[in-house]
Amino acid sequence: MGTNSAKSGAVLVVGGGIAGIQSSLDLADSGYKVYLLEETPAIGGIMAQLDKTFPTNDCAMCVISPKLVGCGRHLNIDLITNAELMGIEGEAGNFTVKVKKHPRYVDSEKCTGCGACVINCPVTKIIYPVEIDEVELSKKDRDIVDNILEKHVDQQGNLMPVLQEIDKHYSYLPKDVIRYVSTKLEIGITDIYNIATFYNSFSLTPRGRHKVSICMGTTCYVKGSEKLMQRTCEELGVEPGGTTEDLRFTVEGARCIGCCSLAPAIMIDDRVYGRVKLNDLARILKDYE
Amino acid sequence: MSAMNAKKLDQLGNNGMESLYPEQIRISVGMATCGLATGAQAVFDRFEDELKKTGFNAVLSKTGCLGFCQREPIVDLFIPGVPRLTYVEMTPETVTDFMDALENRKIPKDNLLCQYDKELLLDDVFRKYDLTEKQNELSGTPLYEDIPFFAKQQKIALRNCGIIDPGSIGEYIARGGYRALFKVLGGMTPEALIEEVKNSGLRGRGGGGFPTGLKWEYTRRTEAEDRYIVCNADEGDPGAYMDRSILEGDPHSVIEGIIIGGYAIGASTGFIYCRTEYPLAIERLVIALDQAHENGLLGENIFGSGFSFDIQIREGSGAFVCGEETSLMHSIEGVSPEPGNRPPFPSESGLWEKPTNINNVETWANIPAIVIKGSSWYSSIGTEKSKGTKVFSLVGKVRNNGLVEVPMGITLREIIYEIGEGIPDDKEFKAVQTGGPSGGCIPSKLLDLPVDYERLAEAGSIMGSGGMVVMDSDTCVVDIARYFLEFTNDESCGKCTSCRDGSELMLKILTRITEGDGRPEDVDFLLELGEAVTDASQCGLGQTLANPVLSTIEYSRDEYDAHIEKAVCPAHVCKALVVYSIDADACTGCTLCARNCSAGAITGKVKEPHLIDSDKCTRCGVCYDVCNFNAIIVE
Repeated sequence: MGTNSAKSGAVLVVGGGIAGIQSSLDLADSGYKVYLLEETPAIGGIMAQLDKTFPTNDCAMCVISPKLVGCGRHLNIDLITNAELMGIEGEAGNFTVKVKKHPRYVDSEKCTGCGACVINCPVTKIIYPVEIDEVELSKKDRDIVDNILEKHVDQQGNLMPVLQEIDKHYSYLPKDVIRYVSTKLEIGITDIYNIATFYNSFSLTPRGRHKVSICMGTTCYVKGSEKLMQRTCEELGVEPGGTTEDLRFTVEGARCIGCCSLAPAIMIDDRVYGRVKLNDLARILKDYE
Repeated sequence: MSAMNAKKLDQLGNNGMESLYPEQIRISVGMATCGLATGAQAVFDRFEDELKKTGFNAVLSKTGCLGFCQREPIVDLFIPGVPRLTYVEMTPETVTDFMDALENRKIPKDNLLCQYDKELLLDDVFRKYDLTEKQNELSGTPLYEDIPFFAKQQKIALRNCGIIDPGSIGEYIARGGYRALFKVLGGMTPEALIEEVKNSGLRGRGGGGFPTGLKWEYTRRTEAEDRYIVCNADEGDPGAYMDRSILEGDPHSVIEGIIIGGYAIGASTGFIYCRTEYPLAIERLVIALDQAHENGLLGENIFGSGFSFDIQIREGSGAFVCGEETSLMHSIEGVSPEPGNRPPFPSESGLWEKPTNINNVETWANIPAIVIKGSSWYSSIGTEKSKGTKVFSLVGKVRNNGLVEVPMGITLREIIYEIGEGIPDDKEFKAVQTGGPSGGCIPSKLLDLPVDYERLAEAGSIMGSGGMVVMDSDTCVVDIARYFLEFTNDESCGKCTSCRDGSELMLKILTRITEGDGRPEDVDFLLELGEAVTDASQCGLGQTLANPVLSTIEYSRDEYDAHIEKAVCPAHVCKALVVYSIDADACTGCTLCARNCSAGAITGKVKEPHLIDSDKCTRCGVCYDVCNFNAIIVE
């Protein structure tokens, strides 16, 4: 044995299934430092997905849960999850391994495991970074929002009407206002964002003074509403769903405004135009400042 | 609020009668969304100006939608002693002539559609008109029931739409309104009421088709301190708008239905969940609810019966899935509006875990009529398993667009070719899409299909909320299937993998086919995928989203094959598969197309034939639409 034959006193366990977990716990309890390497983002493996185990029909979760917690809390065990073993050198007693750790995009030191990010994913749901400091609203804004809250104070399920009125007043849901509502109604900010991002008619960014809804219902579609959308966007220089730079218009596709007999139809604010022709668009839009 | 009793109801009704059939001339303008979209406001304003200017003695009022949306703006004229008359396609200019005629004591003849020799009021009382007096002047004017659009219709849910002023509770009562509520609270037990609704055979008009009486019974049977009633007015299906029309034209019929339902199941609170895209419907509902409150038809101790009930309006915020009942209830509660598990059904545990009964607007509007005229009358209409009438929105490529209420069991051919008077421009009928994104396309070989819940389901479609979009040979079924998948993919809440990812994958394949990149195995894969999504999804949205694809494949597989094998779109719709060119013989060089082409793909000198550069052409079709000489060729 050469110079690197000194025993290291640490063990690497590859694979965080029930076997890896049990081995790690046994080794850690007997005084070894254990590195438990797992390819997926969490340990547990197949057993954590089972209902019962063969042949005794024991409850799988009841068996594995204490061990999962044990692994997580054991001072001698370091979990390396979301990582792969790339190479191994050395000999029994002293190995050097190369591990590739995939990015988690979450700071696992700070994460408390509250699960709020899970509720709000995937993708379309935008999360603002949550700041802990007190919400500072100007007196004017506070009066407006208090007024709205006052109206719905005794109503069961008042979050939706409150958000609708705020959205109507500001033409979008301003971040500070949402946080203020969250503290006032004692509804978690993630729950509010969950609602705010679910519905099409709420917006988290300021919208134009006038909302142009091009009906994309079946009848309008059959009668050429796509061309209307294309022409409107060209006319105003925006993408579908976009807002003009001067905040004059927001152009959106609507899912049927119930005016199918007069297709293709568009709705600007609360006014409906039926049998719209491409060449009418410029004239109609001119009426809105 | 003042207490309501029979005497006061009669008095309100008499007032309504006087305003419906006054001593002087009454002009009413149809001011529902469809009327307004074609300029009813301008017509109304002109009437107002003319009346003010001339001092002519007439009442001007607003009504809802008569259903004949194709010919809006519609104006109704009532002259004492003369049959009621309906005028169509009015404009501010024709109003002037109209008023001139009236001032000269003549009946205006321009734009006159029909006359009524009698009108049916709800409680079997006919208001007859004397036809002798002005007979000469009106000879040649068809009767209402002789107009093809109206001939086969039988109006129950739409009984007041387009006739009464939706802002007048008196006019609603004059036509028999709130009598059903009076009858129920005056001596019917909830059990007898439920039995009556069960016997009528009424089934949910929102699309599910569950027997209404049975649903009420289940809700009543669940032990609880309180129960809720919900009216589903989240009419999200593109192509259907009967609920909007009822709410805009006759909000009290829905409110009365809900109060009766509340009594039947023992609820004290009702919610109307209306989509935000219907601002006018919400406005009229708010007014109607206020009126019901003022007159003691809502609130404590209605009709002195000890029964108290109240209704709140909740607005949606643009999410299609909220039309699904569990999702809708979550939305009212203000929590994440994803669909929940059933069972427990809402009748056991609904809003705030209390038993809840949900019915659609049209269902509620039918209730007062059933109570007044009896279950045996209602069940005498329709087919064996589908009783009564159903409102359809007949739209798309059909001559008469509009809302039609027909007895169940009528054939598609009667609806499209008799009521709708066929396809415009002598094009060929291709298919009719029923039931919105959850429904399917029914081809021409099934035109003689009697319309009821079972038959439509057998044909691979559904009754749904009653949208009926007619398609002609210019419509590509693959493109329509892709359109619906785009819709459902966008509206899928993302809870079930099968729906979220399945719709994504189906959309991807359909898009590929419409772009000419379809693969031979695609159609079979779509069938397999469609079945999987149907089986594995939790709510109605996922369970039915494959229907438009499956039904178009079943009936028009050749069109799919043309796209895939020959890269040809037979209807010339799919952009990637068509080429635009100009017929040099027909082109007059008017430059209209070149000026309208946003891609700058059209070149040519004035008065010389133009050319399309197919590399630059985005195939938007604008040139085809604007050309006055049919010189644009699409291949």
